[in-house]
Amino acid sequence: MKVWIIAGMNLRRTFSERTNAFFMIAMPFLMIFVMGLLFGPGQQLRLGVAGGDQGPLARDLVTALTKGERVAVEPFGGADALRQAVERGEVQGGLLIPAGYDAGLRGGGGAEVRYLSRASDLRSLDLTAWVRSVVPQEAAVLRAARLGPFDESLAAARRAEAPGVEVKVSTAGEAIFPEGLGAFSVSAPSLVLLYTFLSSLTAAVGLVALRRSGIARRMYATPTPARTLVAGEALGRLFIALAQGLLIMLGSALLFGVDWGDPLGAAALLVLFAMVGGGAAMLLGSLFDKEGPVSSAALIIGMGLAGAGGTMVPLESLGETMRSVARFTPHAWGYEGFAELVRHGAGVTGILPQLGVLAGFAAVLFSAGVWALRRALIRP
Amino acid sequence: MAVLEVSGLCKSFGETLAVDGLGFSVGEGETYGLLGPNGAGKTTAISMIAGVLGRDGGEVRVGGQRHHPAGRRTKAMIGYVPQEPALYPDLTGRRNLRFFARLHGLAREEAGRRAAEVLELVGLTGRGDDLVGTYSGGMARRLNIAAGLLNRPRLLILDEPTAGVDPQSRNAIFDAVRRLTADGVAVLYTTHYMEEAERLCDRVGILDGGRMRAEGTRRELVALVGERDQVTLRAEGDLGAAVRALAAIAEAGEVSEREDGVELLVRDARAVLPRILAAVTGTGASVGSVEVREPDLEAVFLHLTGRALRD
Repeated sequence: MKVWIIAGMNLRRTFSERTNAFFMIAMPFLMIFVMGLLFGPGQQLRLGVAGGDQGPLARDLVTALTKGERVAVEPFGGADALRQAVERGEVQGGLLIPAGYDAGLRGGGGAEVRYLSRASDLRSLDLTAWVRSVVPQEAAVLRAARLGPFDESLAAARRAEAPGVEVKVSTAGEAIFPEGLGAFSVSAPSLVLLYTFLSSLTAAVGLVALRRSGIARRMYATPTPARTLVAGEALGRLFIALAQGLLIMLGSALLFGVDWGDPLGAAALLVLFAMVGGGAAMLLGSLFDKEGPVSSAALIIGMGLAGAGGTMVPLESLGETMRSVARFTPHAWGYEGFAELVRHGAGVTGILPQLGVLAGFAAVLFSAGVWALRRALIRP
Repeated sequence: MAVLEVSGLCKSFGETLAVDGLGFSVGEGETYGLLGPNGAGKTTAISMIAGVLGRDGGEVRVGGQRHHPAGRRTKAMIGYVPQEPALYPDLTGRRNLRFFARLHGLAREEAGRRAAEVLELVGLTGRGDDLVGTYSGGMARRLNIAAGLLNRPRLLILDEPTAGVDPQSRNAIFDAVRRLTADGVAVLYTTHYMEEAERLCDRVGILDGGRMRAEGTRRELVALVGERDQVTLRAEGDLGAAVRALAAIAEAGEVSEREDGVELLVRDARAVLPRILAAVTGTGASVGSVEVREPDLEAVFLHLTGRALRD
């Protein structure tokens, strides 16, 4: 019973602290959102459109651009507002349709459409390529319409199916990001691993404070056996890691629609990874006598392993050498496990290798952590 | 009956012998002070007695039972109050107390009731629901003591509980200790404040370099080292005659004339004082005031160790 009382106290104190509430609750969701936008596949591109006389030809151009539901069009009142929106990144590109667009084309003249894009923005480049392919197609149809009476020829040109080369895209082997995978399904698993580990390590400061403040001695002065005290603190570390992981998993499922796949497999991965984080936290909290070095070490180790383990940038984007290095981190195995569950619908049997390696990490770190914590809390 | 019996207690840290063969006992309702300068081994000694630090040798018995760090039955009889407030600053005083009460084995409801009782005892009922981090130093130390009382201990161990507190809180702590001893609680109190030991403790053990130099009541300790009371009389008249008259008293020694009176050293001044006054007034001198300064534990410590308590 006392084990649960001590563990519960650890969990309550960790999450009731205001700064922790921000870093452990708000930050992960913000990061899921941002990383989903950065690395996730299939997000909609936003194209701002301004100007034009809103005639049928201008509308046809806009309709052509939104074909395939990949591009969402946002209307703007004028060129200045559109330029500002592009500069701020509110839209990935802007199309300025000149006044008299319809009249000019119907009169046999030309029309100059201007396009604004953002430099060094991958999504903007993506949209630019799309606009550059759609606008010439629309221009070709309009040129064909001039061969006879404009409206009749235009209708005929739109009906015509010109023979051409059909390009079909298929993936050889297994797709890294399968078709239909949501953007946040890529970022959320990485961040579960990053934050579960990082939050565990930063909460290790509490273990140092427990010793320095004399609270550990006071606890031991009660009729509480040393093993109960250590078990309570160890379980507390595990609870903190589990709570952090669960929070992100449940929150991302509700807020971003992330499908975590097989619940048993996801739970097994989370529990084992929480043991890894909890064990590392106990080791860290027992090695140092002051809070400052623990905070610094937590950040360096937490971010370092996360980076090397592929949870800050997708493991697939790392080079061969770095991917080999990643094999030495628990993060990489967790990442692979979640990737199998979330992207490829694997069950618990499909991630047994990853679970096995993580269990090894967990056994070593948690045992070492309990041993170190007992030595630190109970002086002979 | 002795609630605490300590014999041959030893502890070394590497080459340093922190406690060397310490032995003493504390009876029911008695306040026993361990007096010594910083580094004398007081905290090490009481850490071993509280069972939070292992010992190299010796024996501790609490309530007649052998006590060791894993001894749950004997720990249940001890209330331990460490030197610095060992409390969670980000929790309220009441929640801290409830947590430690649960570790003492109290059920949830009983823990809540007991927390309220000890808050009342140390005068913190009104601040019980405030975060400990907002408490003044004195309030935190009072709460620290309250946490040591949760299990209704037979032996309360207080490690320098008044270090750095304001006079008001110090008096509140003294009052709480007196109430506890009146209820039969044995109190082991460490301090390096001589005044506290004299004011609060029934018996005092003088600790230096990890060894017990002497122990007893204040008077016993003073008698042990042969110290005498200093009596100063402000008087007018023939002071030379007064000095001669005082020198004739058998117990008096080192009688001297001062600018405004006379001064002498005497064993047990309270008993001899009527004869001193009679001797001086007998010479025709008039006595304006009498001041008796009894030797204090500071003087005893100086005598025993050759250095002052706060060196």
